[in-house]
Amino acid sequence: MKYLIRAIVLGIVGYIVGVWLTLAIRGGSPTDEVAVVFGFILALIGWLAGIGGIEAFGRQWIGKTPEVSTARGWQRYFQFTVDHKVIGIQYGVTLLGVLLIGGFSAMIMRIELASPGMSIVDLEEFNKLVSMHGILMVAVAVAGIIGAFGNYIIPIQIGAADMAFPRLNALSYWLVPPVAIGLLSAPLLGSFSAGWTAYAPLSVGGDSGQILFNMAIITFGLSSILGGLNIIVTVITMRAPGMTWGRLPIFTWAGFATALLAFTVTQFFAAALVLITMDRVAGTDFFGPDVGTGILYEHIFWFYSHPAVYIMVLPGFGVILEIATAFSRKPLFAYKAVVGSLLTIVGLSVVVWAHHMFTSGMADFLQAPFMILTEAISIPTGVIFLSIIGTLWQGKLWFRTPLVIAFGWLFNFLIGGITGIFLADVATDIFLHDTYFVVAHFHYTIVGGSIFALLAAFFYWFPKITGRMYNDKLGIIFAVSVTVLFNTTFLPLFWVGINGMNRRVGDYPQAYESANKFASVSALLLGSTFLLFVGNIAWSAVAGPKAGSNPWNARTLEWQVSSPPSHHNFRSQPVIVGPPYDYGVPYVVFPDAEPAPEPDESGKEVLV
Amino acid sequence: MRRSWLPVGLLWLGYTVLLIALTKYVAILPAQWAEEAQVVDEAFILLMYLGSPVMALVLAVMTWGIIGWRSDGADREDGPNQQNNRVLVTTWLVITSALAIGVLINPGFVGLAEIRGEPSSDYVIGIQAAQFFWEITYPNGETALDELVVPAEKRVRYDVSSVDVLHSFWIPAFRVKIDAVPGVPTQVYTTATAEGTSDDDVNLRVQCAELCGAGHAAMAMPVRVVSDAEFNEYIESLGGSE
Repeated sequence: MKYLIRAIVLGIVGYIVGVWLTLAIRGGSPTDEVAVVFGFILALIGWLAGIGGIEAFGRQWIGKTPEVSTARGWQRYFQFTVDHKVIGIQYGVTLLGVLLIGGFSAMIMRIELASPGMSIVDLEEFNKLVSMHGILMVAVAVAGIIGAFGNYIIPIQIGAADMAFPRLNALSYWLVPPVAIGLLSAPLLGSFSAGWTAYAPLSVGGDSGQILFNMAIITFGLSSILGGLNIIVTVITMRAPGMTWGRLPIFTWAGFATALLAFTVTQFFAAALVLITMDRVAGTDFFGPDVGTGILYEHIFWFYSHPAVYIMVLPGFGVILEIATAFSRKPLFAYKAVVGSLLTIVGLSVVVWAHHMFTSGMADFLQAPFMILTEAISIPTGVIFLSIIGTLWQGKLWFRTPLVIAFGWLFNFLIGGITGIFLADVATDIFLHDTYFVVAHFHYTIVGGSIFALLAAFFYWFPKITGRMYNDKLGIIFAVSVTVLFNTTFLPLFWVGINGMNRRVGDYPQAYESANKFASVSALLLGSTFLLFVGNIAWSAVAGPKAGSNPWNARTLEWQVSSPPSHHNFRSQPVIVGPPYDYGVPYVVFPDAEPAPEPDESGKEVLV
Repeated sequence: MRRSWLPVGLLWLGYTVLLIALTKYVAILPAQWAEEAQVVDEAFILLMYLGSPVMALVLAVMTWGIIGWRSDGADREDGPNQQNNRVLVTTWLVITSALAIGVLINPGFVGLAEIRGEPSSDYVIGIQAAQFFWEITYPNGETALDELVVPAEKRVRYDVSSVDVLHSFWIPAFRVKIDAVPGVPTQVYTTATAEGTSDDDVNLRVQCAELCGAGHAAMAMPVRVVSDAEFNEYIESLGGSE
């Protein structure tokens, strides 16, 4: 805990120094946005130094050997620890917390929307709630699967002892808490109300909380870029002997594709926010009517934020495909076509952004090409569905919690995909854009495609990570109720959107009341089902039986090591001799793996 | 191998028929008040029809997966080692590509051409958006704030602009919308088909559809569609009241 305390102290000191320096140079008030900007930057540096940056990086700069903690107990979760498994858990727990806060804000919104007129918040507060809910959930969807399970599982799946850059990995994680703190403390400065999209010029005006939003999200972008780089290098260079590209488990492929995207496009959101920050604090005018325009912002923003949808759902594809093959006891159908599709999606996703802008007033000639490219993405996405169908086909379907959630995912993402065509088509999009149809659609793709996959991944790998089973019956009840209630919440919202209700409104005409009331009641029930989720974890902690190394009898490498895996995952370098999913091959028998010996427990590890 | 094709095929057929029937007999779209609404609604319904068999296929597999392929897993037995089927993958790619191209042509390009229409109009109405109201400038130069009056059976061009942040000019009953962008003039065309007021249909209203600040939700005003003669009378009367 001492590192965490040091990080908090240095963070606060950094903030004060940043603000003080700004005031000393230019005067003004400590709540001036420019003071907040420099306060945030120095606070971030102080935080990173305090949490362990001094030992992990600073020592090297003065010619000493860098040190990182290798503590074994619960304390390692509060330190600059380089073990990818610890970092995976750090990501998972942090983002689960953010998910619950974001979910709570959704509950307040749905209570307000249960009837027309304003009851518990006013219109401006509602906009702030929408914005906070949006950005928190986007962060969870962007980093949830890849941060938690990508970190934990990918190195083991490829037979590596750790990530390629363990210290960078720890840095990527420790950039995340300041993001959460920055966003959640924005209400102190009046919060931000321009939506998670922060469209200019609205976001150039407005309360000062916007500046914390900008700084937090730029920091989050840095974390994403570094995390993406690390996964790319890890998958390229750290594969075990015999782990050819054609033998990579599909989750690793999906994580690799995601990392390619995160590494190459995240800069654009950060750049757009830097420009807004400059407009706010440095007197520039990038998005004013005379120089640039709000349309310019939309182009830069969506150049990241459309691919971001694939940063959210590609790892989801990976998870669902892993579960489909393990729980139908069959090889992954059309593996090569799936890999080709994942990479095609990566390529296409960066050239479809302007389908968010059919009504933006951009040049007319842009509409047809973006419609073509957007609808082209349905082809590789269709191949993913083909692979899931082909894998399930005549399999021995074992309906445990992960597969039940995977079925929920399949249904939801199918609706998300089909309704996406309506928004890719110019004629229908001109009608549906910025209505509740869009709200319903992107909840089906992002909650349906990413958060459901996150839950499926949780129930699939939970026994591996904790070494204990959860209550499967309770898990199935949770999976079914979360799927049903998700649908009863969001299906009516398609209807209200089609019938003329626009999004991001705290108030609406009487005509939409009954559908909204229905959605609100469903949403509150949906939120309360997470008590089952938390309850199941608690049950597992108290009474969960030992899981053994391979409770699902699955074939990828992470199931061939102990649960949880030992410090460097493998006792000796594994050598890969076959494909990842050789289900149904006669005479292939996988014995239960023996637990690896624990490494020595001396406090510090010297990095080589 | 063959035994799953029949039940899945039947389920697929059943679900397809069901979804198409739902599309055909359940009125999910609101009333049309403009020619543009007819274009949009045709495209919408066509996409519903095209989406039905796709949706049905996955639903059929999921249903039969639960009924026909369930196994308790206790015997830990594997399924068949079926890794690929080149013919099936190729067929799938051909069909999905054909579907994508079909959707691109109609409603894609057809709808795009129809919704855009001829760049000609009988009247030009100026719409200036500001936080949080609309200022209308009629062809004779008169302005109004409280209500948008448009003539039926006439093609109207709206010249949309904004003085502060992004807004979006949207009349749900007409289906079309276009953003109001500071510094960038934008345009949209509509041809109203019937006379009516927002008392007849809540969707006969101008609604801001781009988050523009605290008053965004309330940035709406009623639309009244009147005959051409009444329209001209109305805009003349605006001048007289000054």
